[in-house]
Amino acid sequence: MVGIDRRLLQNVDWPLLGATLALVALSATTLATLNVGRAGGGVALRQIFWFGLGLVALLVVASIDYRRLVRVAPLFYLTGLGVLVAVFLLGRTVSGARRWLLIGPISVQPSELFKLCFVLMVVWFLSTRWAQPVGKTVLLAAAPLALVPAVLIVKQPDLGTALLLFPVLIALLVAAGIRLRILGGLVLMGLAAAPVAWLALKDYQRDRILVFLDPLRDPLGRAYNVIQAKIAIGSGQLLGKGVAGATQSRLAFLPELLTCYALLLLRGFDIAASTREPVGRLVAVGVTALVSTQVLVNVSMVVGLIPVVGIPLPFMSYGGSSMVVSMMALGLLLSVRMRQFQ
Amino acid sequence: MNPGGRLGYLGGPMPGRPDPGRRRVIAMAVMVSVALLTIVCQLWYLQVLEGGRFQEASDKNRIRVRPIAAPRGILFDRNGLPLVDNRPAFTLSLIPRELDRDPVQRDVTLGRLASLMQIPFADLQDAVAKVSPDSILPVRVRRGLSMDDVAKVEEWKLELPGVIVEVEPQRAYPNSRFAAHLLGYVREASDEQLKGGRYRRGDMVGQTGLERLLDEFLRGKDGGERIEVDAMGRQIRLVQSTEPHPGAQVITTVDRRVQEVAEKAMEGKAGAIVVMDPRNGDVLAMVSTPSFEIDRFTGTIDRNAWLRVMQDPNHPLLNRTIQSMYPPGSVFKMVVAAAGLQEGSLTPSDRVFCNGEFHLGNWTFRDWKKEGHGSVDLMKGIRDSCDVYFYNAGLKVGAPAIAKWALAFGFGAPTGIEFGSEKPGLIPQPKMSKKGKPMSWHAGETVNMSIGQGQVLVTPMQVARMMAAIANGGVLWKPRLVQRIERPEKGVVWGDAGSVTGHVDLSPMVLAFLRQSLWAVVNDGGTGVAARIPGLDIAGKTGTAQTVANSKSEKGQDHAWFAAFAPVKDPEVVVVVLVQGGGHGGSTAAPIARQIFNTIFFEKVAFAAFGG
Repeated sequence: MVGIDRRLLQNVDWPLLGATLALVALSATTLATLNVGRAGGGVALRQIFWFGLGLVALLVVASIDYRRLVRVAPLFYLTGLGVLVAVFLLGRTVSGARRWLLIGPISVQPSELFKLCFVLMVVWFLSTRWAQPVGKTVLLAAAPLALVPAVLIVKQPDLGTALLLFPVLIALLVAAGIRLRILGGLVLMGLAAAPVAWLALKDYQRDRILVFLDPLRDPLGRAYNVIQAKIAIGSGQLLGKGVAGATQSRLAFLPELLTCYALLLLRGFDIAASTREPVGRLVAVGVTALVSTQVLVNVSMVVGLIPVVGIPLPFMSYGGSSMVVSMMALGLLLSVRMRQFQ
Repeated sequence: MNPGGRLGYLGGPMPGRPDPGRRRVIAMAVMVSVALLTIVCQLWYLQVLEGGRFQEASDKNRIRVRPIAAPRGILFDRNGLPLVDNRPAFTLSLIPRELDRDPVQRDVTLGRLASLMQIPFADLQDAVAKVSPDSILPVRVRRGLSMDDVAKVEEWKLELPGVIVEVEPQRAYPNSRFAAHLLGYVREASDEQLKGGRYRRGDMVGQTGLERLLDEFLRGKDGGERIEVDAMGRQIRLVQSTEPHPGAQVITTVDRRVQEVAEKAMEGKAGAIVVMDPRNGDVLAMVSTPSFEIDRFTGTIDRNAWLRVMQDPNHPLLNRTIQSMYPPGSVFKMVVAAAGLQEGSLTPSDRVFCNGEFHLGNWTFRDWKKEGHGSVDLMKGIRDSCDVYFYNAGLKVGAPAIAKWALAFGFGAPTGIEFGSEKPGLIPQPKMSKKGKPMSWHAGETVNMSIGQGQVLVTPMQVARMMAAIANGGVLWKPRLVQRIERPEKGVVWGDAGSVTGHVDLSPMVLAFLRQSLWAVVNDGGTGVAARIPGLDIAGKTGTAQTVANSKSEKGQDHAWFAAFAPVKDPEVVVVVLVQGGGHGGSTAAPIARQIFNTIFFEKVAFAAFGG
């Protein structure tokens, strides 16, 4: 255990923490207003409790040297895979999806926790091969790291989380110095595989894409969400309707929300850029890429830029697993920042 | 830099050299920033440029989504006459989002509506409480409004914000009780059905009969309209509309004319009629009485009317042709005769002297005719339905053989009509010991079974199938109700060519003898003479079934059966009539069957001229 020495404390990234705190406050407020008129006011309180738990997790993660965590990453990763298999076998099914494991009274969504294990694993994988050129060989060797869990997660089914793994992998490869020509080839291959992917989608997933392309296809049925979301945002105009005046939904703080996220993400990249220590940089890039993808996908979806995919918005969406994991991700970033001047 | 630039950045930057990894991280940051900026632009587009438009859409009284209910598919009879049709009907609906937000004001509106339309206030509150207050989809409160009601609502429109009158297609029947069990009624999806997720609140769903069986075909795809309305609720402009697709058309096997005649003949009586084509199992008519007023069940029925039907001691909702089991009485003698002849334990020339009584140990079994039938052979036994003859015959044939042939005729198992909870009936079977002798079975039970009493229970549909098998040479058809289902644009989407579920392996000699005996019942002074029509060879069997509970009471409590087919040479129609508590089959049920045969065979020409 690394002692908490003064130099570490001096280097805590307060803007990063501040942005997070603001997000959590927005989340709690939104959830509280969602509760208006419904039975039980516990949702917002529970979210705050998760935040508290997340804060503890953050402190624990930040106080450990991230290099130690990377060193034991394979252990995390394999355990994570095992748990995903366990979900597959004995998970709890909620509205058709088998994503949760019951541990005593609480149910945990292991695919959330797995995201961090995955980031650490890829960092470990790349940093143990630092003397090799980052080319096709490394790419081919790294691909199964994402593919195996992705298949397990797709089967839950949770397409959103599974797809999340790939941008993170690519970001890490880029930061590790992969040649851009290889990357371009990868993108072309991905495009070529798109028709196959379309066939593999479930009916409801295809519906979402079709409805995205043409919301008037079925205005009362499948497109209802998409249209209503647009009305909700559009009718708020610049100043918003506020919490009490909300009609369509209660997502009332979109501009504020975007500002907080922009701050958070750019801060993450700043940490990555200003760290000269390669493992720390990779950890920062991985974590920031993870959070960025989730935020971008989520917000784009809400404003109707991409089809609907179900992934949680870090710090905002209601759910304990997501909150704790997001806080741990933040802990990793802080950890890198605190130790970059050592 | 690494030698040749081929290695990655993982060794870390050389001190004092440029840091390429840093450049890439910054590039990533730029990409994310661009993405965020795109999102902000889209927000700008939605909130500022398009904001006004969406603001309108979001505001209360501007845009209304009006679902256009697709008309349900029409059910036709075999000659192309509609069994049920649609007509436009007015529906009173509430639009939750347009009701006042203030609960007090809202209750004032609902209260006004309640007193205006005589609807219990609590019902209105329930209807609103079940859906989200933001919903723009109408909640149907009452269907089938009269013109007066419509006028009242229109007149008070300004005082009733959020209340609208919609036009929806509704089921229309030839008459109030027409084929109620066969067609079944259509009602709003219940809370239970909504849980399945297949229906939306307010959807009309077939609840019984063919409407339920074929619901997925009959239901169309609802369309919708977005209209812009002013503060008065008047339409200003059609924003967008989707056409509804009507449901599929169903061509049934039913003959509307026969159904109507059969229903008329059963008026005021409790019982069932099945008319079947023995050549393919087509059900031409299916009547169960007492019936219920099917048109009053459609849409939103009020609680009291529903309770009245549910609590009626005569069970009008029960489809007696398949959901009710009766002792078959003497109709069952056909099974005993067939079993005996085929197994060789009975010959047509076996004679029994009937003095009106039969003794078995200390028990005395009586014939329905006190003074007895005198010397009786098998044909006379069937013709005059001599009980004493069959008491003897039953003991000769034995319970196991009777049970075996009863099962072969399709008794004791559902006919497979796929139509609501069908009852299997019951054929008692003696348990056999190792030596092949019946155990814990009293000979008296065999005696009772021989005349279709005791534990034997059948449904009218099973009897019709047995008669069809005798008529067509032993083929058991699955009763067929639906010929095909058609969609206007796609043609036939479902078809049923009929299916054979079994064979009764009787020799042609046995079948010929049975048909001859049945002909004698109607045409040679037998018990079914009341069904006789000069010029048509009808073959039939009467039955007068005593019910256990009523065995000691007056004869009027017996069930009257008549099962027949015609013409004998080349049978086209099977008619089975059951009148609960009708007394003698020959005097109550046979004349009803006669009426039906008469309609089918002698009013055919007149009908063709009219229908053509």
